[in-house]
Amino acid sequence: MIQMFHVTKSYPGDPPVLTDLNLDIDKAEFVFLTGPSGAGKSTLLKLMFLAERPTRGQILIAGRNIARVRESSVPYLRRNIGVVFQDFKLLPTRTVAENVGFTLDVLGVPRDDVRDKSLKMLRRVGLEHKADVSPLKLSGGEQQRVSLARALVNDPAILLADEPTGNLDPALTVEIMNLLCDVNARGTTVVVATHDASLIARYQKRTLRLEKGSLVADEKGAKAARLMALEA
Amino acid sequence: MSTRAKSVYFVRTALGSMVRSPFVHVIAIASLALALVGYGLARLASGQLDALVASLGGQVEFTVYLAPDAPEDKVKELEAALTQRTGGAVHRVSPAQALGRLVEELGDQGKALEGMNDNPLPWSLEVAVPAAAREGGQLEALAEKVRGLSFVTGVDYGQEALARLAMISRALKLAGLVAFALVFLTTVIIVSATLQLAIFSRREEIEIQKLVGGTDRFVRMPFLIEGAVQGAVAALVSFGLVFALARYVESSHGDAVAFLRLGGQVAADWPRLGAEQLGLGVGLGLLGSFVAVRRFLKV
Repeated sequence: MIQMFHVTKSYPGDPPVLTDLNLDIDKAEFVFLTGPSGAGKSTLLKLMFLAERPTRGQILIAGRNIARVRESSVPYLRRNIGVVFQDFKLLPTRTVAENVGFTLDVLGVPRDDVRDKSLKMLRRVGLEHKADVSPLKLSGGEQQRVSLARALVNDPAILLADEPTGNLDPALTVEIMNLLCDVNARGTTVVVATHDASLIARYQKRTLRLEKGSLVADEKGAKAARLMALEA
Repeated sequence: MSTRAKSVYFVRTALGSMVRSPFVHVIAIASLALALVGYGLARLASGQLDALVASLGGQVEFTVYLAPDAPEDKVKELEAALTQRTGGAVHRVSPAQALGRLVEELGDQGKALEGMNDNPLPWSLEVAVPAAAREGGQLEALAEKVRGLSFVTGVDYGQEALARLAMISRALKLAGLVAFALVFLTTVIIVSATLQLAIFSRREEIEIQKLVGGTDRFVRMPFLIEGAVQGAVAALVSFGLVFALARYVESSHGDAVAFLRLGGQVAADWPRLGAEQLGLGVGLGLLGSFVAVRRFLKV
């Protein structure tokens, strides 16, 4: 589903953020992306949802080379990729349901359908009863669930989450992780960037470890958990 | 993808944003309206100049002052010759008629003339000269010839003054055009900056729209609708202001307007001015929004 070949990303005047990266993530796979701050996790996610372009190398998403795709095609590719941000990126001037419906508005879905689908998605994340309140009135965990609902309402093939539990307490972290696993079980490819070792140890999924812009480990299951335990 | 659903979304989003944050939109409308009031006043001033020149031009008269002992047959000959040469009607004015006019024109001061025993004004011939006969120095040549007649004491015609007025009008219009161009450029910058301020508060919304797959066109449309609505409202406001100002000038400074020989009315083609302000307002709003939103589209 996501393939990278010799991908390097650098900014003028600075050392490369990512260096000669190769990776292959299958359809419906769940992958943790980990590493210390500044290792290049967020940049790697940005390359995947086309917020950045690689300096060198090829990136294939669902078989399509996105490294050289035209700027005007970017929005259409993004519609297959849901993104969850650490800072939620919710609009305080819109209701929870309107925030979720944002993704469908872009597609030109009729208003009533947008409302129906948004409520259905909010039910899935357990927030249907908060549909008409402002996101400002929600707790951090609830806001992250709204952000997740927005990323998923369009039923994307890929879900990218950048530190989705970074601001949450352990109970809420489990809540969000369970939702991500549930989404993955339904066939969505999920990539979660995190530096939370306990999370990786607990869920025992494939883990890619970045250090100084290079991929230094790619482990699955218990091995990944052990790797992280050693790091911790 | 439904075009109708998108159109509904664009309009709903645009109007919704105007309702949600009225302050920035009022500021944008005010700056647009200010520019359009300037435009309206400039057009009005130019209209007054045109009307003034036209009204004076229509009144060009060729006046021949006759000696007291001018022979009647010679005067008749001259009348016929003037009609033939200019194509205009010749009107003979008696000293009494001339004095009457003068008294009327002077108003209260003219009453002093009413008690005069001897009327010092001569007989005269007035020719309303059609536009065709005024060109190419024809009147000058005619005046020169008529002045040479023994029974004529003087010839007067407004061509010189008119030519000077037309020149002044042209110079004023050119200066107005340059001033307007400068004001217009400044306004575009101010309007665009104001709209950018309005859009800046919604950069987060633009960013999210882009991140969930919104095209530039999709993101831009509600802002363009807002710009057009702002421009239209600004046009309506500015038209109302300019119209009210013109009516005020007519009612409270009617004498000044009458002095300009415009029949006490501000000369203007109101429907045309309204249409121009609307077109300019909507155009400015669209252009301002387009420029302002562009810098936030890079996500």
